[in-house]
Amino acid sequence: MTGITALAASFCVLTGAAAGIGISVATSKAVQAVARQPEAGDKIRNIIVLGAALAEATAVYAFIIALLMVLVK
Amino acid sequence: MEEFVNELQGLMKSNKIIEINLFGFDLSITDSVVVMWIVMAILIVLSVVFTRKLKTIPEGKQSIVEVIVEFFNNFAKDCVGEHGKLFVPYIGTIFLLLIVSNIIAVFNIIPSGEDLYNLTHWEFFENWNFAIRPPTKDINVTLTLALMSMVAVITAGIKVKKVSGWLKSFLEPEPLILPFKIFDYFIRPVSLCFRMFGNILGAVIIMELIYFAFPAVLPGFLSIYFDLFDGILQAYVFVFLTSLYIGEAVE
Repeated sequence: MTGITALAASFCVLTGAAAGIGISVATSKAVQAVARQPEAGDKIRNIIVLGAALAEATAVYAFIIALLMVLVK
Repeated sequence: MEEFVNELQGLMKSNKIIEINLFGFDLSITDSVVVMWIVMAILIVLSVVFTRKLKTIPEGKQSIVEVIVEFFNNFAKDCVGEHGKLFVPYIGTIFLLLIVSNIIAVFNIIPSGEDLYNLTHWEFFENWNFAIRPPTKDINVTLTLALMSMVAVITAGIKVKKVSGWLKSFLEPEPLILPFKIFDYFIRPVSLCFRMFGNILGAVIIMELIYFAFPAVLPGFLSIYFDLFDGILQAYVFVFLTSLYIGEAVE
């Protein structure tokens, strides 16, 4: 039973890969945007922080679910 | 391994320091409450010390405070818009509280109960289980903060638009959108709460794993990322999202 739970938890944490792709796409676009228009840096920073926070939330939810699966019996 | 799993389970639970049961409700004083008191004490003492003997021309410690206040003013003006000035006190307070409570694990200088017991052989320390950990790793704290943010959003909408205007804003731009607007008020606090809780708990658990595997040198460097950077970033994100929601409500 413990093995199955651990496997399920590890699959759950795989969500992190998707969140990583999401954040990296957002960051690369933000870098391009700043390179093209350095004076819009402040606005772009706010948007990238918001986007990264929203993308990262999915990974955090998966992490919480994995923790609950492993630790709560 | 089993021992370590138990320790992680202990991290997720809030351990009770003083048990209080009132009318069937569990009102125990947990360790996150005590750490919150410490955070409040730090902030109150600092704000009293830093704002004494203010002068027109800033010098010394006063200029530090002015930089911080200026930062909050600009932050609120950027995110909320023209009504920004109204919400600077709330946003600034939450920001300072979250920053201090997220990074307070750095100042965890209290040795564990086991060490104290071996040192002093007092029975009092045998069940002593108190360490300064971020109170935001407790879901009750983050849920309270998220609900407070939603109360601030609703208050902001009512204060700026009056009750009729606020109720009308549920039907804009299309009456069809009404269920989603109502749904928003339930989804937003949950998402704010779980983002903060998950990130901080994750950082605490990862740091605990690192302390377990490499007790020396390495935790020092990784602590900069997991305790300081992550904590400040999450505080920023929380406050930023709150002020965005407020900005949307008063628009």
